[in-house]
Amino acid sequence: MRRGLISHSKAELPDAVLDARLARLRAAMAEARLDVLLVYTNNTRTAGVSWLTGFVPYWSEALLVVARERDPVLVVALTYRVKSWIERTSYVAEVIHTPRIGLEAARMIAGWKPDAAVGVADLDGLSAGIADDLHEAGPRLMLRDATALFGRLRAKADPAEIALAVKAASIAQDALSRPPARGAALGDIIADAEARARGLGAEEVYIAAAPDLARDHRFRRIEGEAARGASFALRATVAYKGTWIRLVRTFVGAGAATPDEAAGRFAAAVAELPSERGFASFSSWLVEGCRIAQPLAPLIGSRVAAPDPPAPGALVSVQGSVEVGGQAVLLGAPALVGERGEAASLLVPPS
Amino acid sequence: MLSDERRRRLLTAMAEAGIEELVAYGNAWQGDYLRYVADFGILEGHGIAVVKADGSTELFLDSASEAERAEVETPAVTIRFVSDIARAVGARLDRVANQRLAAAPRRFLPNWLADKGRSFTLEDGTALLDRLLMHKLPGEIAVLKRAAQLADEAYAAFRAAVVPGRRQYELVADIEAFLRRRGCPDNFMIIGSGGKDVLGMTPPSERRISAGDLVTTELTPSVEGYFVQICRTCVVGNANEAQRRAFAVYREALEAGVAAVRPGATAADVARAENDVFRKYGLGDYVTSKWTRVRGHGLGLFCDSKPHILEDVDTPLVPGMALIVHPNTYHPEVGYLVLGDAVVVTERGAEVLCKTPRELFEVAA
Repeated sequence: MRRGLISHSKAELPDAVLDARLARLRAAMAEARLDVLLVYTNNTRTAGVSWLTGFVPYWSEALLVVARERDPVLVVALTYRVKSWIERTSYVAEVIHTPRIGLEAARMIAGWKPDAAVGVADLDGLSAGIADDLHEAGPRLMLRDATALFGRLRAKADPAEIALAVKAASIAQDALSRPPARGAALGDIIADAEARARGLGAEEVYIAAAPDLARDHRFRRIEGEAARGASFALRATVAYKGTWIRLVRTFVGAGAATPDEAAGRFAAAVAELPSERGFASFSSWLVEGCRIAQPLAPLIGSRVAAPDPPAPGALVSVQGSVEVGGQAVLLGAPALVGERGEAASLLVPPS
Repeated sequence: MLSDERRRRLLTAMAEAGIEELVAYGNAWQGDYLRYVADFGILEGHGIAVVKADGSTELFLDSASEAERAEVETPAVTIRFVSDIARAVGARLDRVANQRLAAAPRRFLPNWLADKGRSFTLEDGTALLDRLLMHKLPGEIAVLKRAAQLADEAYAAFRAAVVPGRRQYELVADIEAFLRRRGCPDNFMIIGSGGKDVLGMTPPSERRISAGDLVTTELTPSVEGYFVQICRTCVVGNANEAQRRAFAVYREALEAGVAAVRPGATAADVARAENDVFRKYGLGDYVTSKWTRVRGHGLGLFCDSKPHILEDVDTPLVPGMALIVHPNTYHPEVGYLVLGDAVVVTERGAEVLCKTPRELFEVAA
């Protein structure tokens, strides 16, 4: 459950930015002859509704109802008591509270137009219970999958989203910046990193660790006590006002190779995105980004069987593992994919 | 291991119900069904586990980062990383379409997978798993007791963190760091601070703690995936007479609710016992859904499990259930107040898990 700072800043996410996104969506809806578009959100699939309204549920779920000719309505399963919190933390004209969000959304839409053409972003992934409720309360509504339509609009980051990602990256960078004290326990190192990130206003923070790179390069969440090796890595997944990034840092023991060379190779590989060429010498790599609502969905990578390369101008988070001088180095940082033949660029340097 | 005990119990329940394969869905919000059957605490994306009658389990995840983590954290389970989780699970179920299959919680399944046009039929197995989630094994109760001790310690840390001038999210940062130091990977926590303007608790805001504030929190650390909650209120400075008088009502309501917890009683009986105290003091309006969501709820692999403690929930209480009884609501004279303790239902009644005194705490202004 989300428990970091959820707030809405008109300086960081101006109304004009959200209005412009909504206008683009409505234009696409008109072209596709959709009367209404539905976008679902819960605390793990936040990135569609937050992109349009800034709203991030700390738990529970909601449907954003975007009609071409009316103000958007947020139908939430959260109780009425948190209405003022929702209004403070998002940009939405009307909030309706009901435990059956599908039922209420369908009733409302059918009241406007019983046979409305209703696009649903990620219709296949929508919860079955909500889909059933949409059919029950709006039997004549024509539900259509609007995944591709929404995905095209969502793909390229605008300057406001890039700025939020840069802020998230700077928070993660600060969290992972300090070398651990000699002999410090892994739990204390993770606690310090998380406290710094949350203290800087992160909406969410997940710190994962690869505790001993000599034994295993994979990240995990630490529960209880975990011994750390001479070389270990931390991955900070940070959300800031709806925008998510990952940053990875490897901490090497005395006498081991420094990650500088690895960082250079990583930056060079990232520059070639969306081409995979640069990662040929990496033992594993992964590029994640938002397609619809999952903030960090897998796009391309060494384990991704069905690649979905990022679009020009997309924000992505990149992770890779490379060996330098016999030492495994894990790296990761957010990046912006270039447009018109430009190289992709890292938002913050890996280290 | 606890996960092995759960698995054995699940397989017995499946056999008794004639279910040959069980499909469990989870995400970071509704993750308890998935955790029960696959022992994976999901954070990102969707996860669907398919459990066969022989106990072998496949876990489908649509996040590459989560799939990597699952390989390390749940080595007994076969991990399948796939971009389109619904179709991948669908292809897997096509092979056993002639068998009796059930899904839990069915209403959260991806729409495509639950569609009637599929080759397989997924019965609703939610009630089967709900029973297992609600009625805890002794090993589960033991873990809940460890989580309760951590909740007590975390609340003491919270009181120390409440200092005038600090922002709400800075307090939460302190508590999360405290819990990570103790090896606790997860917590659910909401907070409120202020006076009559505060209608409930939410995630932390930028609001600063001020003298005279009532500071409320619902703090819910997890151990091995099991969440235990504690609800307490503190005052910044000395509590005034109205605050003390109001708090006495909540303490009486909590005591009445805890006293009502016994085998044979229902969730409704507990809620009624709490609410009758408010009604006795002319505060009956404030136990309605306008002002309060629930009067408690189950605890376990989800921080807000069944049964919900409400006057219209007739779920019977039986030994081995874990609950929080919390008469949290708005008080018209002082604002939102919380007080709640986790309990386990035993043959003799409620065993209270948390040791933090039921006080209206005061911290330095």
